[in-house]
Amino acid sequence: MASTAPASTLSFPRETFAKLSPHPYLLAHLQPTSTSSNPTRANGRIATQFRTPHINNGSLTHAEGSAVVRIGDTTVVCGIRAEILLANNVAGYRVDKSSTAPSSKAGYNEAKELDLLVPNIELATGCSPAFMPGQPPSTLAQSLSTRIYSLLHSSGLVDGEDLRIWYQPPDLSDQDKMEEDEEDAPEPEVKAFWTLYIDILFISLDGNPFDAAWAAVISALKNVRLPKAYWDPDREMILCEDSVAQSKKLQLRGLPIAVTSLVFKAKEQSQAKDHRYWILVDPDTFEEGLCDESVTVVIDCGSGKTKMLGISKAGGTTIGMQELKGIVSLAEKRWLELSDLLNT
Amino acid sequence: MANSAEPTALLSHLHRTDGSATFSQNGYTVIGAVNGPIEVQRRDELPEEAAIEVNIRPSAGVGGQYLNVFVFLLDLTISVIGTRERHLESILQSTLRQIILITNFPRTLIQVTLQITSTPENATTGSKLVQASSNLAILPALLQTAILTLLSASIPLAVTLTSVLLALNSNGKSRTTFEAPTVVQFQAADSVHVLAFTSQGELLVAESEGAFTLEDWDEIYETAKALCCDETTGEVIMQGEAENKGSLMDFVKSTLEEKVTKDLHWKD
Repeated sequence: MASTAPASTLSFPRETFAKLSPHPYLLAHLQPTSTSSNPTRANGRIATQFRTPHINNGSLTHAEGSAVVRIGDTTVVCGIRAEILLANNVAGYRVDKSSTAPSSKAGYNEAKELDLLVPNIELATGCSPAFMPGQPPSTLAQSLSTRIYSLLHSSGLVDGEDLRIWYQPPDLSDQDKMEEDEEDAPEPEVKAFWTLYIDILFISLDGNPFDAAWAAVISALKNVRLPKAYWDPDREMILCEDSVAQSKKLQLRGLPIAVTSLVFKAKEQSQAKDHRYWILVDPDTFEEGLCDESVTVVIDCGSGKTKMLGISKAGGTTIGMQELKGIVSLAEKRWLELSDLLNT
Repeated sequence: MANSAEPTALLSHLHRTDGSATFSQNGYTVIGAVNGPIEVQRRDELPEEAAIEVNIRPSAGVGGQYLNVFVFLLDLTISVIGTRERHLESILQSTLRQIILITNFPRTLIQVTLQITSTPENATTGSKLVQASSNLAILPALLQTAILTLLSASIPLAVTLTSVLLALNSNGKSRTTFEAPTVVQFQAADSVHVLAFTSQGELLVAESEGAFTLEDWDEIYETAKALCCDETTGEVIMQGEAENKGSLMDFVKSTLEEKVTKDLHWKD
């Protein structure tokens, strides 16, 4: 042979292998041939390892509350703006006696009926190569918005009382007719509601958008300060106090945390016989492209006992009752880690 | 019209589609149609499997993907319209991918369209039309319609599925489970759960909302599994109850048996 070129090897650089055949690439990491190397994921984490979260609160000056959450290369900004909704602008809103009011019915959710919480997710152009400018909101963005919306309401996180602006009419009857009937003292009435616009913007997206977005919502809600608002009867409008000292924070009910995991199967075909699988927590984009089945659990361990606030599982049959318990115990560890960060 | 908790179904009643079904249960009625395998747009084409497209149309309001874009730009509060359907579509899409033998039809499209025609009316809080209740209540009806539609079209499936909606009230030690809850029960419940099982008894979809514990969920899982599939555990739990109340899997079977005997009527 005249060829003087070095003997061509049949090996690729890692990046080429990952691009050409992503599934065997991840499988080779999780199932190393040599016994000396530990099984890890392609990103160097072990299967049950989460990425380190970073949380920064109150970085937006014009929002009532804001948070930047970074989990690995996924970065989310959440800003919450509060606006006032006058009760007399609500179609069909009646000031009922407390016994017949709709709010006394079981399961009535004022924040939901009046749309007082308005979350919206935007996956910004350039946050990942999948998002081009000028595109309509992707299915992912719409799906995430819906999930955040329903979790906000189903978890009952925001106390409806925090969002009401009350007015106590002065008792004027005393001057004309003295102590004719004491029960006629005017009842306090709700004059307006706070509406929270929760805007979530992804600056960069590397997998696991829901967990990051939800952590950002929680952190921003904890950061919210609503100014003291009152009804001015002379001007017939709501006025807000300027002073920060009189503003107050929202009383959140609990601290739910979302944890997403994926199921990676040894065989690419979903109906294959090989049933080996790995549960990968906090997946990145590369792993999301290779797994069909995903599970998100939302838990709150605040009261000492683990309370589940949501399960969402689709796309496969691997996760049953036992596997779910394992995921919940992983989520409990993650709750401790994140609650430390969120409570500081 | 009384909302019957008993499911009813009508198969292959639309003649211009490859398969169709109407399914009603618990006040929800969904018409489903499937076309496939058909030609796929180049950008959606998958080299090794069939692409699955699910379209869900709500009974009121715009669910359309393109209309929705403009709604988004106009008013954020309305943006909730349509996003719910996208979410349900993505759940259905990932579920149907698992049960249709997609690798048998590479580079084709299987298109499932589901039109919600009626939802139970909410007598107590006669308020919002579109976002009346949570997005979970409709999910079992959608899944069940989709599977009947696929069966009607004779699209090769690996397994079939059955799905139930359960509401749970849990105060302290005692738990009350409502099968096929009414709207009032649904809203008043501490937690609501949708579970779907394959015909082999594996958990395929699980969506839960509200506050509950892991033990509650275990019980829900067992109840749902008994309601959905296997006759053996079903009998144990249902012994005290009415005889005609078979599992949902029996319902799917008997619906299909009826259709097959009707189709083969000419042979006799």
